[in-house]
Amino acid sequence: MKRFLIVGLMLVFIVSACGQEQAEVAETFDEAAKASEGTTVNFYLWGGDEGINRYLDDYVAPRLESSYGIELNRVPMDTAEFVRQLSLDKRADRERGTIDLMWINGDNFRNAAEADLLTGGLLERIPNATLLNEAAQATDAGTPTNGLEVAWGNVQFVLHYDAANVQNPPETFEELRRWTEENPGRFTYPEVTDFTGNAFVRHLLYAKYGDASRDMETIPDAFWDELASWSPNLWKQGQTYPKSLAQLDQLYASGEVWMTMGFNERRAEAEVNAGVFPEGTRALVLDHSISSTHFLAVPFNASNPNGALVVINELLAPEVQLMKQRDTYWGDGTSLDLDKLDERDREAFLSLDDGSTYPDPELLSDRQLPDYGPDVIDQIREGWTRVAR
Amino acid sequence: MSRVNVLLSMAVSLLPLTALVFLFRESVGADVWGLMQEETWRASLGVTLYVTLVSTLCSLVLGTLAARAVYVNGQNWLLRWLKWPLFVPHIASAYLFYLLFADGFPFGLIEANERHHLVVIVTYIWKEVPFVFLMVLGTYAQLNTGYRDMAKTLQLNPWRQFSVAEWPFLVKPLLDSFWILVAFISFAYEVPALLGVTFPKLLGVLAYDRLTTGLFLNESEAYAVALIWTLFLFGGVLLTYVLTAKHRRRIEKGVRR
Repeated sequence: MKRFLIVGLMLVFIVSACGQEQAEVAETFDEAAKASEGTTVNFYLWGGDEGINRYLDDYVAPRLESSYGIELNRVPMDTAEFVRQLSLDKRADRERGTIDLMWINGDNFRNAAEADLLTGGLLERIPNATLLNEAAQATDAGTPTNGLEVAWGNVQFVLHYDAANVQNPPETFEELRRWTEENPGRFTYPEVTDFTGNAFVRHLLYAKYGDASRDMETIPDAFWDELASWSPNLWKQGQTYPKSLAQLDQLYASGEVWMTMGFNERRAEAEVNAGVFPEGTRALVLDHSISSTHFLAVPFNASNPNGALVVINELLAPEVQLMKQRDTYWGDGTSLDLDKLDERDREAFLSLDDGSTYPDPELLSDRQLPDYGPDVIDQIREGWTRVAR
Repeated sequence: MSRVNVLLSMAVSLLPLTALVFLFRESVGADVWGLMQEETWRASLGVTLYVTLVSTLCSLVLGTLAARAVYVNGQNWLLRWLKWPLFVPHIASAYLFYLLFADGFPFGLIEANERHHLVVIVTYIWKEVPFVFLMVLGTYAQLNTGYRDMAKTLQLNPWRQFSVAEWPFLVKPLLDSFWILVAFISFAYEVPALLGVTFPKLLGVLAYDRLTTGLFLNESEAYAVALIWTLFLFGGVLLTYVLTAKHRRRIEKGVRR
């Protein structure tokens, strides 16, 4: 009897795994909101930042619950990992997956788009998408978005330094190199498999070759030789590099290195307020600063795509974007076009307080640089081995 | 009910085979020759062999010495102390040693994250000595002390006493431990990820890196490396067990009699 039970249960599992069809996406937003009332949306995203997690759990989730009756379930996971999960789903013809909504950008988006892992036609179903900054929405690190993802935030790359230790901060990347010679062991960057470390090397590439570096077949050997010459003066004599930005931040927080870096010009403010980063933390904008947009996307096999649409719309609401940009939780730049907002909302964005760790906004926008395409990111990954060695 | 048990055990024993088939399928398309030529993989193989063999051999020697100290010299306090590292997960011990060695210890002598991977090796030894200890302890508990007494009576020197009265019985548990440790350490992730360096990375770390970053095109590469390594270990296990089969059978019979 028991044996039949086991076999029966197995059959049930197998059948239930195969038999489901893809969930249908509603034609309009109102239909989607109606269909998704009382459901749960599984939101997969990188969970490494406390501020971001609290923003979603403490601010966004209660709003969704009261306005739409939707429960937001935040699942922290590395982006590459859930993109891989999706590609496995695709190959196994799994029509109903566990991911409803995800945070994605850069080469993870390119991979997902190439492998046809995303639901299209998002923009026309989301009312607040009309407020988006069109330039930010158009491409993702050089890859056209084609309505497969919706811009969520827009940030720029800056360095942060501790003014207590760094009296005369460098102003260009060349000066930064000389600064490392004068202060050996006090600077490093994450290895280039990391999103931020790769971006740092892209900045150096632009500093040396300018716009010509955008369509180079390969990165010249001279560039790598020069970068290798930084190594002896880096943290641990360049014998090893932090594996991730989180590790670099940790080194910076403990005072072992005197500079850190990252996308999002406001990211240090909450860390200083929490007493993690030193009091003297200030922003540093060098020759140029790559801007980067991050996006929200719905997988091809989302079980609750309608709920995901509602959540995206809510995340793009001016009020919700404003709270995201405040230093209360996250300090992430808005993906909305301020000119498209009404007077009151625009004023609210413009009157946000300046933080002590924020860079001069004019300088930052002057030196803004669109990001490179994914090919350059890959070339850096391949070529950088010569530096690490 | 017993038939269900048989089916279950069959299913479990088929798992490794399924894994191999899966790995093989995923490896299709990988340029194996190109892999061997790539310096990153080659450097990784070199450092992996070094770390694995040094940690494993040291653990085997120290674990055996500890077990011997308990049974031959009556150092029973070791029993109590040596079991503690077993309860600490690998990731936790990696972090523990990271905290200890981050700025160099003792007196800045050995640092974490350096090319010789000393702290990685120390971490593994700390974790694996108790494992070897327990594997060997059982053998010592069953060991017929008559052999040692006879060796003593014949006035053999201590090394000869060990090699005729203990070593033959230790071959099996040590061989088992050796392959378990080699298989585990050579493709593990946490410890070398935290305590290793950017270049060269250990195989497990490099494979995971290639699997999770960049184009999916690199995917088959990591699977191919896992497959080759698995087959290599499999071959090694087979070879050493075949070579020692006769010896082990003799010992097993002898013990039973």
